[in-house]
Amino acid sequence: MREIRIEPRRKFLVPVEAEGISPDVLAPLTLEEIGRIEVWEGNRRSVLSDLFALSGDDVPGEAADARILLSGDFSRVKRIGEKMTSGMIEAGGDVGMHAGNGMAGGEIEIAGRAGDWLGREMRGGKINVSGDAGDYVGAGYRGESCGMRGGEIRIEGSAGDYLGEHLCGGKITVLGDAGDFPGIANRGGVIVIGGNAHLPGAEMASGAITVFGRARVLPSYQYQETVEIDGQSLKKFLGDLVDGGKGELYVASMEA
Amino acid sequence: MIIEGGIVYDPRNGILGEEMEISIEDGRVVEESRDGDKIDARGMLVMPGGLDAHAHIAGAKVNTGRIMRPEDGRRGTEARTKLLRPQTGYTVPNCYAIGYRYARLGYTTAFEAATPILEARNTHEELEEIPIVDKGALTLFGNNWEVLECVRDGDLGKLAAFVAWGLRASRGYGVKVVNPGGGEAWGFGGNVKGIDDPVPNFDVTPRQIIRGLMRANEALGLPHSVHLHTNNLGKPGNYETTLETLRAVEDIAASRDRQVLHVTHMQFSAYGGTGWRDFESKAPEIADYFNRHQQFTMDMGQLIFGSATTMTADAPLEYGNARLLKAKWSNHDIELEESSGVVPLVYGRKMPINAIQWAIGLELALLTEDPWQMIMTTDHPNGGPFVNYPEVVALLMSRPKREEELKTLHELASKRSSLPSIEREMGWNDIAIVTRAGPAKILGLEEKGHLGMGADGDVSIYDIDPEKVDPSKDHEKVKAALSRAKYTIKGGEVVVRNGELVAVPQGRTYWVEASVPEDEAAKVRADLVDKFAKYYSIQISNYMVQDAYVTSPRIVRAGVI
Repeated sequence: MREIRIEPRRKFLVPVEAEGISPDVLAPLTLEEIGRIEVWEGNRRSVLSDLFALSGDDVPGEAADARILLSGDFSRVKRIGEKMTSGMIEAGGDVGMHAGNGMAGGEIEIAGRAGDWLGREMRGGKINVSGDAGDYVGAGYRGESCGMRGGEIRIEGSAGDYLGEHLCGGKITVLGDAGDFPGIANRGGVIVIGGNAHLPGAEMASGAITVFGRARVLPSYQYQETVEIDGQSLKKFLGDLVDGGKGELYVASMEA
Repeated sequence: MIIEGGIVYDPRNGILGEEMEISIEDGRVVEESRDGDKIDARGMLVMPGGLDAHAHIAGAKVNTGRIMRPEDGRRGTEARTKLLRPQTGYTVPNCYAIGYRYARLGYTTAFEAATPILEARNTHEELEEIPIVDKGALTLFGNNWEVLECVRDGDLGKLAAFVAWGLRASRGYGVKVVNPGGGEAWGFGGNVKGIDDPVPNFDVTPRQIIRGLMRANEALGLPHSVHLHTNNLGKPGNYETTLETLRAVEDIAASRDRQVLHVTHMQFSAYGGTGWRDFESKAPEIADYFNRHQQFTMDMGQLIFGSATTMTADAPLEYGNARLLKAKWSNHDIELEESSGVVPLVYGRKMPINAIQWAIGLELALLTEDPWQMIMTTDHPNGGPFVNYPEVVALLMSRPKREEELKTLHELASKRSSLPSIEREMGWNDIAIVTRAGPAKILGLEEKGHLGMGADGDVSIYDIDPEKVDPSKDHEKVKAALSRAKYTIKGGEVVVRNGELVAVPQGRTYWVEASVPEDEAAKVRADLVDKFAKYYSIQISNYMVQDAYVTSPRIVRAGVI
């Protein structure tokens, strides 16, 4: 497997748009060619090697055999792994907004924290975050009617607000808590939240949301029965009735 | 400037693919050019600049589409360059992108199809920002209270005076009528069901509104005829309403050498069936009627698969769309004048209705024998964005391409339309008519759509040799060549070279100043003072579009005195 190592040369004060950091783009190129890829730092155009130190194997290959290692602070680097279809990206620390945007395959492993819009409009592949993730994980960007359509996102920490907005497929697992309105306008995706959540499933048409912690349930949800999931007893609801929805909502403990 | 060696198609002047020189001086076609600039067009297709007679490119509803569709804005983004400003959007591009993209296609004129007088200032602010092309806007009259009252009272003189005033107030070019009566009924949650269904509170019927406005239009001798979006548009079985409408106005004569009525985006008005389940094409019936009635014209409203943003003053139609498709919906009431709606949608190849709609547009164009009666549009962005015109041209020119496309569509497109049996393939002369000469004739733009002496120096040159390329077989080449003009010349200035923009001049805005007798004008003024005092949210003194909003006007005179 070919390893490509990327490290910021300095701390970025304004966001860097680096959609080129993806196995599909980098794998067929030598390190020198990789260095010439266009990136934008704020409104300034520059090339990858101006902002990042590059090292690793120099021999071009297939994206599926590429492993991109990001070390250092990438918290202001946006669009890492955008539209990737195969291969691997491993971030040793935090990553910025829009990581895994529209990705269709491959894997992204984030040891730190992920910014907002993680895996937005994702089609396939896997993302794992060891820390927390920001708002709009797996959502559709402004105006889009579908967010994530396939693939899997796993967040070991907590997620922000609007988790999986406009989900049309795929699965999101959060081991910690989720913020406001997880699974809003869900149209067929699966969300599992290990901790607490606030007002899950507003405008949900189909799909399923499970909250193993405490949640405030919208009044437009209809209680069905109590069910056993993973040895825990949860209350099952159907909704969102405001939109004639047939989504399933499971909640362990109700918040008044 | 001299354009040398090109194969020229200029149907209005009877030039059908001849190699000839074209000289341009001071923005106009002349006998002989003084300067030495030469453009080598050997082995290339030369036509007058393209003219889009019906597109929604400026105004409040276009902006509403942009606001509703940030996801559309992200498509087709291009960064600014030293010459060009940034571009965004596909179905609702920003103003700059509209001008640049028309120019790249070899188009030099585009008309905005529907502007309420109340929102005309917004339209002109945007038209001012659309670079390169000449433009104009059609003004909506079909649901205006003053119009409905004049029609009810049978006061044709006052109606003509109001139309003249409305064109001036909106700096508009022609009379647009959208679902007459239906927009007013929508103010009360209703619609009109046919041309003899009375409008609530006004005691007039769509038939009377259409006839009244057509007679006023002809009394004023306006350069363009009434431009009609029919009642029941978009509904199964509406071809009967369409034919009934046309039969209702057969006795009205045109005051100028042009059609007496233009029915727009006919694809949406040529439907059979009693509902969506037995939905079918009635294009052959419509085309047959047009073949027997030369006084009417239409445009295609061709559907393009993929993303579209429907926007129309036909608000009840948009309500239906939004409910049917569970789509985003904008609904707007324009005081005493109109209502309107915007709904984004996606046309799918495997969707039976969409596939049949696609076939209907092509059937209409191919079955109408006289190309001067049937011009090409996609009703941008209702049927699809105008950047797809080369695709439509390729479909019109190539039966094999139509067969290839039909294979990718839902099978009902072949079963519920006559398209598979249509052999006709348009030639370059037909294409020059349906994209240039025809729209210019229909709009009444004397100096556009041809390359005779005194015509505007608007020329498009495409890198395709009409004598060598067979458009039927090489339809890919046709589409590629028309997508990026080799040269686009606007007013004698090269604006596109090798498919890239090289200059960005400001185009002109056409509007019609129609004169009317002072006593009729005075009656209108008295009515309006009363209406503004009672009903409008703004003062009459703030209503008219001021000259400052039309910085490069081209005023066309008409009128009864």
